[in-house]
Amino acid sequence: MLAMNYGADGAVVISGRLDAAQCPAALAFFEKVDGTVTLDCRGLEYISSAGLGVLLKTQKRLTAAGGKLRLVGVSRHLQDIFLYSGFDQIFEIEPAR
Amino acid sequence: MKSARSFRRSFDSLEDIFALTADFFAAHGLDRELLPTVDLALEELFTNMVKYSPAGAPLIRIEMTAAQDGVEVTLTDYDVDHFDVTQAPEADINLPIEERKPGKLGLHLVRRLVDSLQYEYSSDRRESRTTFRKTRAGRTASGSMVKLGE
Repeated sequence: MLAMNYGADGAVVISGRLDAAQCPAALAFFEKVDGTVTLDCRGLEYISSAGLGVLLKTQKRLTAAGGKLRLVGVSRHLQDIFLYSGFDQIFEIEPAR
Repeated sequence: MKSARSFRRSFDSLEDIFALTADFFAAHGLDRELLPTVDLALEELFTNMVKYSPAGAPLIRIEMTAAQDGVEVTLTDYDVDHFDVTQAPEADINLPIEERKPGKLGLHLVRRLVDSLQYEYSSDRRESRTTFRKTRAGRTASGSMVKLGE
């Protein structure tokens, strides 16, 4: 399952699994955000290409309006996925500590 | 050492597929670090079948076999056209964001993350079999993929 909420610091906190079945809900959430948005990925266990598509669509919309999506707390596995997808070139990515 | 189930040709089957892989890993004591990659490869191959073969048989069969230090997974799709996943065009991951479009990353990721990927097709039975293997000893993105061929 996937959960998305706002954290106390204003970041969007995402947790669970962002697979193809969860993408409509994730996209609906992202469509409501504006500006520069920090996405706290510490609880994100899994992402597939469908989930990457949601992040890309959001990043394109935000950057076109002068904002961006920053990914923080990114696990080693997710770092690999972002690297192999070329997302390290289009997202600011901060690894998990 | 082997487990097989058939799943409805629907994105809604993903939750049950992930339950199958988690149970299989637990039952065979497999390294759970491999699980996200196995799930990703399964999701990409399965959802490709859902998206591009909507007129195929209602069920897609998934068979998992415990291999040395890992797992081998075969997806069998029935009453479908030929589509060799090992020959799908590469995604260009170096495009600037303005030119990037969602999609095309699924098979690109699978080919980089698994140890081997094999596609077989029977035109008589209109049946495809896609098999991948993931092991602890397998390569990462910087390695070279063993392609087993058709």
